[in-house]
Amino acid sequence: MLLFALLLIPIATAGASYFARCREQLERINLAGFGLVTLIAIALAAQVLARGTVSLANGFFYADALSALVILLTALVAMVCATYSIGYLRDDEQSGELGDDDSGKEQLAQLRMYYTLTPLFVFSMMFLAVANNLGVMWAAIEATTLVSVFLVTFYGKVTSLEAAWKYAIIGGVGLSMALFGTLVAYYAGHRLAGSDALAGLNWSVLAQHAELLDKTSMRLAFVLILMGYGTKAGLAPMHTWKPDAYGEAPVPSAAILSSAMLNCALYGLIRFYILTSRCLGAEYPSRLLLLFGLLSMGISVPFILVQKNYRRLLAYHTIDHAGIMVTALGVGGPLGALGLTLHMTFHTIAKSLLFLCAGNVRQHFKTDLFSEIKGSVIRVMPLTGVIFLMAMLAIIGMPPFSLFQSEFIIMRAAFDGGHFVTGILFVLFGTGVFAGALLHVGGMILGPKGKMPSAPRRPWRDGSLLALAAALVLIGFWLPAPLLELIRGAAKVVSGQ
Amino acid sequence: MLMRPFLDLQLGERIITLLAALVLVLQIAVVAQRWIVTHIRIFAIQSFLLAMIAATIAWFNHAPHIYIAAALTLVVKVILVPVFLERLVVRMEIREEIKPIINVPLSVVISGGLTLLGYVVAESFYHPDEASLGHNELAVAISLFLIGFFTMINRRKALTQVLALLSLENGLFLAAISLTYGMPLIVELGILFDVLVAAMVLGILVYRIRETFESMDVSRLRRLRG
Repeated sequence: MLLFALLLIPIATAGASYFARCREQLERINLAGFGLVTLIAIALAAQVLARGTVSLANGFFYADALSALVILLTALVAMVCATYSIGYLRDDEQSGELGDDDSGKEQLAQLRMYYTLTPLFVFSMMFLAVANNLGVMWAAIEATTLVSVFLVTFYGKVTSLEAAWKYAIIGGVGLSMALFGTLVAYYAGHRLAGSDALAGLNWSVLAQHAELLDKTSMRLAFVLILMGYGTKAGLAPMHTWKPDAYGEAPVPSAAILSSAMLNCALYGLIRFYILTSRCLGAEYPSRLLLLFGLLSMGISVPFILVQKNYRRLLAYHTIDHAGIMVTALGVGGPLGALGLTLHMTFHTIAKSLLFLCAGNVRQHFKTDLFSEIKGSVIRVMPLTGVIFLMAMLAIIGMPPFSLFQSEFIIMRAAFDGGHFVTGILFVLFGTGVFAGALLHVGGMILGPKGKMPSAPRRPWRDGSLLALAAALVLIGFWLPAPLLELIRGAAKVVSGQ
Repeated sequence: MLMRPFLDLQLGERIITLLAALVLVLQIAVVAQRWIVTHIRIFAIQSFLLAMIAATIAWFNHAPHIYIAAALTLVVKVILVPVFLERLVVRMEIREEIKPIINVPLSVVISGGLTLLGYVVAESFYHPDEASLGHNELAVAISLFLIGFFTMINRRKALTQVLALLSLENGLFLAAISLTYGMPLIVELGILFDVLVAAMVLGILVYRIRETFESMDVSRLRRLRG
């Protein structure tokens, strides 16, 4: 039942938003919808902890600890972003970013589009996390792209059209490879009994009989899936759409794209990794994953060092972290898997927080460039400045923040597993990112007060920032026991124990 | 009694191979021609042939669920998507022809090479001990996929890239029916729905790019760097 409600509520929210008549209604519908989704996600996590797995409709829907974790993180980010976007879009409306129609019709149409597409976007992410059938999961991942294209073109600028075009085409090509991979995986299992039925492509069935899958086909399938879902996760060299899309989308959408969407793309990859490593042994997928993971980390370093635009800087950071997570998957073993699921959780909180901070700065300073801000964010908007700097320190892996712990675990797993080159490169790239990001963001936030007036109070936006920042600080020292158990459970699913 | 189904299968195999060969010829024709409207029509005919292949397989293998997939393909890829794209072309008043980066004769040669590559890759899936219709068709499917990629790189017009993306999907459809007699129906349904929505989303995007840049040349989309 919970799984059903999880899918139904975002759809209902989108439907209600489509027919809403004014801004207040849209805001309330979205808040209520995402609030409910969050509650259901928490209840689902509790149920998964109690029972192990939850399934519905003859196993068409299926959730284990990994799905529950991805769902929980998606719901939390969506909830915070729904709160934030109320303040954010009101500000945009006042400053004329949504059009300058005096009667307000144009603005309302824009708002309606945003508040309708966002629940649909969340719906497709939830759907892919609970779909047991790998083909259905593919369709849901494709749907996330299609829904979010018009979020990227939200402001209708020349550059946002360009970003959306790259996003749609590169994503489309990538996903067609993923579909090919899914197809080949289906073929790999076609000699199993009962593979003609719908269940023949069910992950839970394939995972049980993974040793019997055709080995040559699984090899090909994994490469295609890695290219396909890797494109969606923004792994190098298929990452080029990412800075554009994140830099052009409205900030709350960029926050969802860079945290929840990334998790979902990795989720698809992880499902196939589990099948492949059970079929062929862990070494084959692991080598490929390490290659792409380290390449992504490496490529992001120079771009972070020379970056001029802070939203694109965050996007390159996400590429770096996608690389870190894929490296963790490649390192494998119980420790690597634990590092992966911990990092997924911590990164989701820190990265969405960073994007929301960047949104505050952007709306006050009206620019995305470091060179035009020239320091002083901390004087003009103290709360945003402090949280921005703190989240930045967290994301580059400063202790005592939680990302240090997860990155340390991944590094330890790499050295324990004998991946010495990987471990050394991991530290090296980490240092590069550390230097680049701290230099830019430190320079932007600190410094004497310029001519900018102090920012007014912004209850919706600052409230959501504070909540996320509190969560970020808290998990650095103390993970609630059920959450830790869920993360451990997810890691066990990944490492296949 | 024993011979009849075998003969049937052989006949089926021949029909399907013929249809698949036509699909491949059409894909190479896409590379050789220059007009967008022709490209859309070729896509429609190609999708029609695919639906026929699916129907043939359904007939000779007594698998009724493939008929549904064939019918859906007919509705979505032969009627809805091409009609939508042609109306878009009329609305945008495109007259200019597509200028490929590599000239036509060389492109055709490259497509031939890619077809060969498709056959080499498909060979590894061939199990002679199994009664399978899939041998030639898989090679054609992989060739469609590769030539689709090539078209995408070679033609820098936005609408052509959309069509190339759709023909990648056609290649996948052929691969699915030749390897496994189609995906489960609900998956097929999901894929077709996505194809339909993708064609519309990309179509709208192309329209807006055309309005803003007064061109569909995607090599002009180069403001975002670094």
